[in-house]
Amino acid sequence: MSYSDSFKDHLTNPRNGGELADANASAAETNPVCGDRLSLSLRLANGRIEAARFLAYGCPPTLVCGSVLAEIIEGISIDEAMKLTRTQIAEAARGLSSRKQHAAALAIETLRSALARHPSANCQNR
Amino acid sequence: MPIYLDHSATTPIDDRVFEAMLPYLRDKFGNASSVHQLGQDARAAVDKARRQVAALINARANEIVFTSGGTEANNLALTGICQAAQGHGRHIITSAIEHPSVRGVVDHLEKQGWSITRLPVYENGIVRVDDVRGALRDDTILVSVMMANNEIGTIQPVAEIGALVRAERARGRKHLWFHTDAVQAAGRISIDVEVIGCDLLSLSAHKIYAPKGTGTLFVRRGVRLFPQQIGGHQERERRAGTESVANIVAFGTAAELAESEMTQRSEHTMHLRNRFELNVQQQIPDIIFNGDREMRLPHVSNISFRYIEGEGLLIHLDMQGVAVSTGSACSSGTLEPSPVIKALGRNEELARGAIRFSFGKDNTDDEVDYAVDALSSAVSALRKISPLASATQSAEFGVT
Repeated sequence: MSYSDSFKDHLTNPRNGGELADANASAAETNPVCGDRLSLSLRLANGRIEAARFLAYGCPPTLVCGSVLAEIIEGISIDEAMKLTRTQIAEAARGLSSRKQHAAALAIETLRSALARHPSANCQNR
Repeated sequence: MPIYLDHSATTPIDDRVFEAMLPYLRDKFGNASSVHQLGQDARAAVDKARRQVAALINARANEIVFTSGGTEANNLALTGICQAAQGHGRHIITSAIEHPSVRGVVDHLEKQGWSITRLPVYENGIVRVDDVRGALRDDTILVSVMMANNEIGTIQPVAEIGALVRAERARGRKHLWFHTDAVQAAGRISIDVEVIGCDLLSLSAHKIYAPKGTGTLFVRRGVRLFPQQIGGHQERERRAGTESVANIVAFGTAAELAESEMTQRSEHTMHLRNRFELNVQQQIPDIIFNGDREMRLPHVSNISFRYIEGEGLLIHLDMQGVAVSTGSACSSGTLEPSPVIKALGRNEELARGAIRFSFGKDNTDDEVDYAVDALSSAVSALRKISPLASATQSAEFGVT
């Protein structure tokens, strides 16, 4: 398995790793096939994601997609976050092979679960 | 150069081995089957290497069949014996922790209608001889149990299994054979085919500081097996194909060095391994050593790191210049945790978090100490983003 420098950088220097103590939206999802896990805690205010933190367990693509996701969504609007696709996450992860797309899918699924559970998010699963 | 702690995967070529093979890549390029002088020089070199490899395992030179590597040797052993002996039975006994080059052949034979008994190894990673005895049937024609495991290094009771097979044969079960895959054991512990009592034994050159591309199957005199490559008279009709003379010369030289330096290599790698494990134990919490701590090869340490997955740890270490390996693989969203670690009764998390460290004759104390520090920081970094660690430990990972 050959990974890009960017991919390795995310793996060894994950962005926004951890949990938010004052999160008002969160979700944890598991890939039922391989058992990889991703959890996301968000602080939402004024229609935006003010802060995002992730925790991940599993293969390197899952860890990297968690890092990429948490970095991308911090500071953007909830509407923008809802429009994110797994292709965008996979591209941002740079070096995610076609066989590892499930990691990007898990990231998007976790994001949408977190946003859907927040009462003021006013968002829909898509 | 990275700090290489993956000697169970392959070893660097010893300078003396390299020098020995060089002439056969240049001036002495003859085909060992040719009648002219160049050919006869090549033949003499192959014959010498055959004696050297035979000496490593206390075999006769004419019991050595050169192959392209350990995988081919295992394929030839299992398929060759099964094809030759299938008229006497179609049952094979093997272990749950065999290398894929045995496991894959056995799986293939099973699909062809053979009956397979895969023996458990229990928490210590070692087959029990009583289980072998209990699995024997009237139609058993082959027992294949590795000498030492490739992931956890556990040494199997092959001499006891060999004695059992011989005793059964003495009682009239004439078509029962014993094969052992000694690829990982070679050069690390003593191998004596008379002590083991095996009929077939596999070796690989690149595990003992020779190049990739050559292996050996020991075939005891009188054992009949069908060749898997035909169309030539080489290797006494057991493996057709022009001999890879330079590689075979390298293998012979490496075998001779492995035999003469075995004690010092084993003592050195055991010292490094023990130093490594002691330091890891002191610096990193929540770890589990896999496999028996005594009955194992001197150069291997296999450790499961809780809460994290092995491949991420491997890449972390690689980024810090330390090369190791993991037995698990994830592809297409399907996780394949190490079957060896699973066979020990470990759960998915521990099987996924297992890393193999395998030391070599040229590693140093300083390299081991650096590797432990790199490992400690890598484990810590991965646990900081692990939901499993977060769920079981304090809230120290909380970020505001």
